Amino acid sequence: MKIVNLKVNGVGKTFIARPETTLLLALREQLGLTGAKRGCAQGACGSCTVLLDGDPVVSCLIPAMTVDGGDVATVEGLADGPVLSDVQQAFLDGFATQCGFCTPGMIMSAEALLDRNPSPTRDEVNEAISGNVCRCTGYEPIVSAILDAAERRRAGANL
Amino acid sequence: MPRVNPIDGDYFRDERKDGDFKVIGKTVQRSDALGHVTGRTEFFEDRTFPDLAHIKIHRSAHHHARIDAVDTSEAERVPGVLRVITHRDVPSNWYVVLRLIGIEPNDEPVLAEDRVLYKGEPVVAVVADSEAAAIEGAARVRVSYTELPAVLDVEEALAEGAPIIKQAGTNYFVYEGHHARRLRFGDVEQGFAQADHIFDWRYSSAPIEHAPTETTGCIVVPQSSGRLLIHSNTQAAFFTLDNTALILDRPFSDLQVKGGTVGGGFGGKVDVMVEPLACIAAALTNRPVKFVYSRAEEMQVSSPRAAERIYIKDGVMNDGRIVARKVMLYVDAGAYSRHSPYGTTKACAHLPGPYTIPNVYADCHCVYTNRTPSSAMRGFGVTIADFALESQMDRIARALGLDPLQFRLRNAYRDGDLKAHRKVAEGTALIEVIQRAAALVGHDLPEEYRALSSTTPRGEAA
Amino acid sequence: MLTEVHVPEDVPAAVSLIAAGATIIGGGTLVMPALNNHGSPPTELVSLRRTGLAGITVTGSTVTIGATTTLAQIEHDPRLAILHPVVRSIASVPVRTLATVGGNLFARQPYGDLAVALVALNAKAVLASQEAPVELPLGEHDPATAGLGKRAVTRAGLEERDTARAGLGERDTATAGLEERAPVTAAEERALVTAVTFELTAPGAFRYLKAARRRYNSASLVTVAATITEAGGVRVALGGVSDHVVRAVRVEQALAGRPLTEETVAAAAQAGLTELSPADDAYASAWYRRRVFPVHLRRALLGL
Repeated sequence: MKIVNLKVNGVGKTFIARPETTLLLALREQLGLTGAKRGCAQGACGSCTVLLDGDPVVSCLIPAMTVDGGDVATVEGLADGPVLSDVQQAFLDGFATQCGFCTPGMIMSAEALLDRNPSPTRDEVNEAISGNVCRCTGYEPIVSAILDAAERRRAGANL
Repeated sequence: MPRVNPIDGDYFRDERKDGDFKVIGKTVQRSDALGHVTGRTEFFEDRTFPDLAHIKIHRSAHHHARIDAVDTSEAERVPGVLRVITHRDVPSNWYVVLRLIGIEPNDEPVLAEDRVLYKGEPVVAVVADSEAAAIEGAARVRVSYTELPAVLDVEEALAEGAPIIKQAGTNYFVYEGHHARRLRFGDVEQGFAQADHIFDWRYSSAPIEHAPTETTGCIVVPQSSGRLLIHSNTQAAFFTLDNTALILDRPFSDLQVKGGTVGGGFGGKVDVMVEPLACIAAALTNRPVKFVYSRAEEMQVSSPRAAERIYIKDGVMNDGRIVARKVMLYVDAGAYSRHSPYGTTKACAHLPGPYTIPNVYADCHCVYTNRTPSSAMRGFGVTIADFALESQMDRIARALGLDPLQFRLRNAYRDGDLKAHRKVAEGTALIEVIQRAAALVGHDLPEEYRALSSTTPRGEAA
Repeated sequence: MLTEVHVPEDVPAAVSLIAAGATIIGGGTLVMPALNNHGSPPTELVSLRRTGLAGITVTGSTVTIGATTTLAQIEHDPRLAILHPVVRSIASVPVRTLATVGGNLFARQPYGDLAVALVALNAKAVLASQEAPVELPLGEHDPATAGLGKRAVTRAGLEERDTARAGLGERDTATAGLEERAPVTAAEERALVTAVTFELTAPGAFRYLKAARRRYNSASLVTVAATITEAGGVRVALGGVSDHVVRAVRVEQALAGRPLTEETVAAAAQAGLTELSPADDAYASAWYRRRVFPVHLRRALLGL
């Protein structure tokens, strides 16, 4: 057992990790942040995607002890009170959710893409979410929503 | 914003009044979408409980084997293991989910007794303090087997001399005393005799896994009242409640299912796979218990769509009229019934497809093999039959040099036609759908086909 | 079962933990899937995250990439443009953020496309152990059987014992036969790859093409990496066609001193087929991989 400190959505958090405690399980079971999901625990479905030090990661493959001191962003930290982030709002308006299980991971991958690339092409969006599995087959509205979010973000930056 | 296609009002205009549609054609936000995009939608596994215990399963290593001995002593010694559950701990071990609609016999054990019928069949459940300890415990169960010959193909399972794998004595489900769900209409042999052409082809499909992003699972919480509260991602809450109660041999009112939030189902979460054992474990330990499939379990042992094999023999006239259709259809139920007897009936009810054919003969077999039990998936029974039927239609059109849409329009069923299972067709609309689809893709149809209508009785216009 | 996760602050500390039997974890994308949800013997992990092995240096034409440099870091480094198509063909964005260069050398086929590229680039692995550091060429020792030199991998420390502990099961990276040809000291067996190094090629001299089931995030059906050398030869490495990275010696021999034309490349592909031992897996059949290989060799070398 080790004490692990993380900054999560801007707030310092401390918890006790066992060797098998992954970052995903720490977020879900110790910090109560259940937005990131466990879909495969193999790094293959992307449901657990969060940002670690600004970059998207599959949190199911990271032993929590190895990222002591890290800065983590999850879907719960995106909205400002009732005001959704541009990506969240675009998903909502674009009907880019079905069952909702992949949605938090999809949104975090999209946030990471737009942070790095404000004007992605449709193909770059496809690449950015290629690790996020949606089994309800809703990729088209998801890709469109991410492009829509990029447009909103650029418009916002120009105000 | 999402694109909303305008409603096509050209067809069946006289069946509609202005203002009939209140919601269709409008954009209406989903009630659950805000929870989805904020991560607040509560899936079953998003609840945490102090003292939560975990179940993991030791599964069969063989397709078909006799169980000689089960040794759980090493598993019990793993630190954190609370309890090992075998079939002896299951009050009413044998079940079939469809017994709620009168299907019998109970053909599947919750935990294997003296034999296993598929690779991955649950043999022993291990309950532990932590998921890691449950995994470790399940891995340390030792089972000795004597392997038995396995059947892995539907037609081999029905062949003479095949090993009989089912205790009921046949490798097929018995429909009211018959070897298959049968459809008889007209005289198919006479139809073949009068036909200008005979087309006889074979179609087959592989099992298809739903692979929901959220794996099958539940958390069962013992209540102070003695009831068990089941947080589940089942697609069939009441089916699950009733079947679980029957397996536990407890009144239905002892159980409460909280569900409805499903991280992908597609029919893959209508079997009753995790709740009975989680309830037994919760009752035995008096602790909340979680039983959730790993991804590997979801892929290997959750019921897929059944593999099917379908033979279609058609008698067709030179002008493109189909005068006889004979279908031999085999559904691979895998080792146990689950929903397949019903799916096979659905397949039979769907034949001969949306076409009016005067002579029809079908035998739809629900066959048991030593493969993973199959079950429901999106239109099961119908989907693969349609793949075969429409492939057959295309191939016949090609063979006779006919336009595939004209060939379908010529045989399309119409309101008032008697279907092979002796229901009068109504609201068919197939003709209009084909006409509009042809127009949308720029596929020209001759005037006589554009003039067809599903509401004009056969013989008057064609 | 995981019993401990060590997070040493430097290489010597990591090496001594490895020597004591701990299993190396770089990005975790190979080790953790095997540990999550599976029973395993008691396993100690040694994380390289804080050992300071990440980083890319380019001095003249010499590139040195630290072992824990992630695939994402390569993808975003403009100096390594020749490797961008390689890393972008591997896994998904949130996996590339974690997956390391060192780890990719040990990926089971049909994964490990960066290793394929590095063999074609004639890269060397830098090893640290409790003895003096050594450099081992990738795929030089026994090219007929192992593109990424089974010896190099064996020596690099992730051999049978570790992988068994990590629950990864059988690995082709450890074979007894190899030790017969080149005895490896115990210390070398427990060594750690700290970096890979290679020379940048002339513009256009490095070719890379991967056939997969879909454009992004899919394992290799056939991966072709090739470097056209100034001496008029071609150095070819293949992925997806065996249980290890294949250095395609017969292809190279067939093309040595000859111009690259449709005829010579087709003949080289025929010669190369004898070097393949592809598997049937969830991605493709062995039959299909054999059919794809000549086409992709042609496209990689001739662009058509």
